[in-house]
Amino acid sequence: MKTTHRIVSVVLAASIGSTGFVPRGAHAALIGTEQLAANAGPKEVRGALLAALARDDLRRALAERGVAPERLAARIAALTDDEAVQLAARIDDAPAGAGDVIGYAVVVFAVLLASDILGFTRIFPFTRMP
Amino acid sequence: MIDRRTSLLALLPPGFGLAGCATVPPATRALREVRPPGLPAAFELHEVPFFPHTAYHCGPAALATVLGALGKSVDPDSIAADVVLPARRGSLQVEMLAAARRHDALAVALPADLAALLGEVAAGRPVLVLLNLGLAWFAAWHYAVLVGYDLERETVVLRSGTTRRDLFALRTFEHTWARAGSWSFVAVVPGDVPQSASERAATEASIAFERVAAPALAARAYRAALSRWPRNLLLAMGFGNASYAAGDFGAAAEAFAAAAALHDSAAAWNNLAEARLRLGQRDLARAAALRALARAEAAEPMWLPAARETLGRLE
Repeated sequence: MKTTHRIVSVVLAASIGSTGFVPRGAHAALIGTEQLAANAGPKEVRGALLAALARDDLRRALAERGVAPERLAARIAALTDDEAVQLAARIDDAPAGAGDVIGYAVVVFAVLLASDILGFTRIFPFTRMP
Repeated sequence: MIDRRTSLLALLPPGFGLAGCATVPPATRALREVRPPGLPAAFELHEVPFFPHTAYHCGPAALATVLGALGKSVDPDSIAADVVLPARRGSLQVEMLAAARRHDALAVALPADLAALLGEVAAGRPVLVLLNLGLAWFAAWHYAVLVGYDLERETVVLRSGTTRRDLFALRTFEHTWARAGSWSFVAVVPGDVPQSASERAATEASIAFERVAAPALAARAYRAALSRWPRNLLLAMGFGNASYAAGDFGAAAEAFAAAAALHDSAAAWNNLAEARLRLGQRDLARAAALRALARAEAAEPMWLPAARETLGRLE
């Protein structure tokens, strides 16, 4: 994986070095909004590099986690650079909204029941107020 | 209700502390004391659609709900392939935002302020929230859509799971929402700016929208945000860039010229040169490119390569 990173870095660095940073968007000669928001030349190139690596990681990470191959490109393209970096870093520990509260261990039953009744949590339907 | 709760408490093992019993979270307490001016005592968006979901599909269902409220008919099953991460048995927050954008809606994050959420509901915007229905150390993450509230009864109404009108105690909603990081967003059509959105949140949402939206729609989103925050350089540049991408070089040049005059930004001068060139105003374009170079040399070295390149093409 490290080698892949290195290869991607070298390729990216070479392309950036030879063409100048090309903003995403409709026209290469314009300074793009997202690029301006990231706001700094060398830092931005580094940021873009990180984002490109993150997107590369994401493609693999999403595929490994069951995302259909034909959906990968569109899902990754819809993320901003910041989001791509964030998602790549936290794909296994970011909250995954699910709403599936079946299969809870008996050990925590009493605790959750109590906190439900006190209104801190909301696991068991029968504690709900009308 | 009280009786039922008290009798349930009696079932608990002896010695089970009731220390937290009286805890009313801060926002609920504040709303109890003073109702924010202009906020109705109760409000409910009855017409917001409902998509009961099964298994771990609360993310797609919640998205279909807020998009449906905008008049977009979206099938939760089809959107599931765009947000659900099968191995995590759920959907992650950034992908929820991205999926909304892919359906031509801006996903604007709201501040961590319960009253702001209620205000958006009263203004007709259902709010997609992340809740932790469990505990900090035993999380049960869940997406739901806030569609109503009643401050007298201290309740909120959610489109949630398999329940069309899921009634939460306001304090329970606050607890479970705060435990999930007080995260929420509204999906809006380009041109609508949520009243409680911060300048930063609206700007970020617009920039992210520009990435996937048709340029004309992105321009509409930027224009609306810019009219609320006219001194924001990113919004002005975004409006110019989106207009340019939509082929409206006149509007783009106007936006860049205004931004250049207001902020003396090298990027604004640079893009103004490009727009003027497209309008066939070569001399004016060259003047703008010179300003871009001068400004980049003086204070914004990161745009030197772009400014040199633009000027180079004009000479």
